Amino acid sequence: MFSSLLKCRRVFLPKHSQLCSYSVVSKEIYDISSDTATKPTDAMFDVMKQASKEDDVFGMDSTTNSLESHVAKMLGHESALFCASGSMTNQLGLRVSLKQPPHSVLADARSHINLYECGGLAYHSQAPLTAVMPRGAHLTVHDIERHVIKDDLCGAMTKVIAVENTLNGTIMDVNELQSISKYAKEHGYLLHMDGARLWEASAAKNIPLSAYGSLCDTVSVCVSKGVGAPIGSLLVSDNETIRKARHLRKLMGGGWRQSGGLAAVADYCLENVLPTMKDTQKRTQRLWEGLEELGMKALLPVETNMIFIDTRGIIPMKLWANHLLEYGNIKIDASDDRASRIVLHYQITDNVVDLMLDITRKLIHDAGTKPDDGPTPVDASHIYPSASPII
Amino acid sequence: MVAKFDVTSDTATQPTEQMFDVMKSASRGDDVFSTDESVHELEKFMADLMGHEAALFGASGTMTNQLGLRCWLLHPPHSVLCDHRAHVHLHECGGIAYHSQAAVTPVIPTNGAYLTEEDVRANISTDVLVGAPTKVISLENTLNGTIFPIEEIRRISDLARARGVKMHLDGARLFEASQATGVNMAEYGKCFDSISICLSKGVGAPIGSVLVSDRKTIAHARHLRKLMGGGWRQAGMLAKAALHCLHTIVPTMPATHKLAKRLADGLVGIGFKLLLPCQTNMIFVDFSPALVSDLATPLLKDYDIKISNNPGSSVCRIVLHYQIPSSVVDQILEVAAKTAKDKQITRQIDSAICSTASSASSSVIDLSGAYPSL
Repeated sequence: MFSSLLKCRRVFLPKHSQLCSYSVVSKEIYDISSDTATKPTDAMFDVMKQASKEDDVFGMDSTTNSLESHVAKMLGHESALFCASGSMTNQLGLRVSLKQPPHSVLADARSHINLYECGGLAYHSQAPLTAVMPRGAHLTVHDIERHVIKDDLCGAMTKVIAVENTLNGTIMDVNELQSISKYAKEHGYLLHMDGARLWEASAAKNIPLSAYGSLCDTVSVCVSKGVGAPIGSLLVSDNETIRKARHLRKLMGGGWRQSGGLAAVADYCLENVLPTMKDTQKRTQRLWEGLEELGMKALLPVETNMIFIDTRGIIPMKLWANHLLEYGNIKIDASDDRASRIVLHYQITDNVVDLMLDITRKLIHDAGTKPDDGPTPVDASHIYPSASPII
Repeated sequence: MVAKFDVTSDTATQPTEQMFDVMKSASRGDDVFSTDESVHELEKFMADLMGHEAALFGASGTMTNQLGLRCWLLHPPHSVLCDHRAHVHLHECGGIAYHSQAAVTPVIPTNGAYLTEEDVRANISTDVLVGAPTKVISLENTLNGTIFPIEEIRRISDLARARGVKMHLDGARLFEASQATGVNMAEYGKCFDSISICLSKGVGAPIGSVLVSDRKTIAHARHLRKLMGGGWRQAGMLAKAALHCLHTIVPTMPATHKLAKRLADGLVGIGFKLLLPCQTNMIFVDFSPALVSDLATPLLKDYDIKISNNPGSSVCRIVLHYQIPSSVVDQILEVAAKTAKDKQITRQIDSAICSTASSASSSVIDLSGAYPSL
């Protein structure tokens, strides 16, 4: 159906329109398929020059130690450990709390820990994951209560509850987190938060990071996504736990040497990029409102910097993606033809949003809307940029 | 306290201002999706250098070693055979058991310096009843700064291939061996199925190591790398810095080796013993009857030079690299001479090097006191 559209209608943008001038001027691609696309700037390399240059395997690098102490404080904790990735800090955070099998972790079924860490929980901690689909937007005490494992005969007892905030760009309510934290303490469970995008929640709600962080035993926060640093994530907890995590980090191959440069950039980003998050979220709202006006739907509420956009009945995804790329150098993920995850970050400016809306508006106007593709439900978890095999 | 000249390890090589400027020219793609050009450039360079198909850039030598081994350890029960002093066995937090659920057969080399084909042959396990059959032979070059002769590596490689056993090389310091002997990296590469090569030691880059193997194995290793938490994002800049180092710093290694030899010969001349021959950039020296602290304290105080100083130890590992000027060697010799004078140590007539060509029992030299400790 959509291919017939492509055959009989060709959409032209006038060569001298303002839209063309944007794409002709710059060869830069605006990647809005993920906020991991944030690129280091030249200024960041100059910042790196000022960093200390000692060996982080021995914990001797002062710039790295300073970043760790700074982030720990922000999260309301004693210590932190700077690592190469969020997968590493999540898996470390869980591993330090999982002492001896049989044991298990309870988490949201849609969570990164469950779906996108290569089965790391089983690998690193020899633990199965109890994947819970919450009744509402996020896990609640009620969801958890109904799924914890207490069977010490044939079961793998729940030892850790893992929450994710934001999850698919949506915010876990701090009051609910408080209830979960209380419940966990009462029942002897440890609480880990995958806070890769916790900054987004904090910015959106004007709630300090520590209000969320202090409720959890371990927290993982990414600096390579919306925060804008090229590499890295931090695990945050108490001194003893982080000491143990440092040893485990080496076991996992994460013992890097002169990490000072990377730490300096992370600090720089926390100071200069993090404060722009609210603006990015406002921009995301504006983009969403523009797309909604054109008849598109969102699979999930737009609360921070993500839009799970459903284009069915309006425009074929691949056509839209091709146009955005060709006329705006804007890259969206079109691997699913029904919906796509759009993620904004500070390097996607108002101009890009305007351009995107202009191109889309024109495309829909020229192409006309299409009948709905059918009632197939779309699961947001499947809308995730996946790596094509690189051989 | 941070000393100006750190000779405890060649991991101490520090990034230069120039490297950060070089980083600006790097691409800024995402290495989780393997879409970064600079990383590809580094990986291709290393693969070509080693005469292999592909390579994978990782955060550390521990990571690339464990990945390399894991790729061959597919189905327990299985084991790795290696030198009893190997980094993969002693200094990777038990990683072989953790990442590959494999046992380790640590072998004491009969000649005290490097494993021979005979050592390996005598220790390969094929027991499929109660044993953990050998699936990988892991060699290390250089090991404690000493060179594994290419001829012996070839003999072991032939044996391994005849037995269907894989060959992995912990080549963290392979460049040192290649620069010292003139043997091409690719000649070493031919003998192995996977090779791990560090960029953050003598090569001088701030972070990183590379695993080299065939295309299919590297694709698998890439997936495993993510599992291990090594999926980093905009790593292009680290790759670009590493490439810069490969071109500009590796060629300085022979000069560093010369300096190390001068230091080694000087210490021997003063009357101290070497625990191992100085063949590349490392010196293992025994300062007894003096303690290392007799030298360490004045070296730090007067010359801002840090040497590995384990309390109560007489043995010390000194590691040179391109950022250590010859004045440091002069100063170490000066303090060593003074210490020798104070302790009335003089050069003995017999061999200054503990004999390595002796029986197995005396070939186990305890070097544990020589390494930098936490």
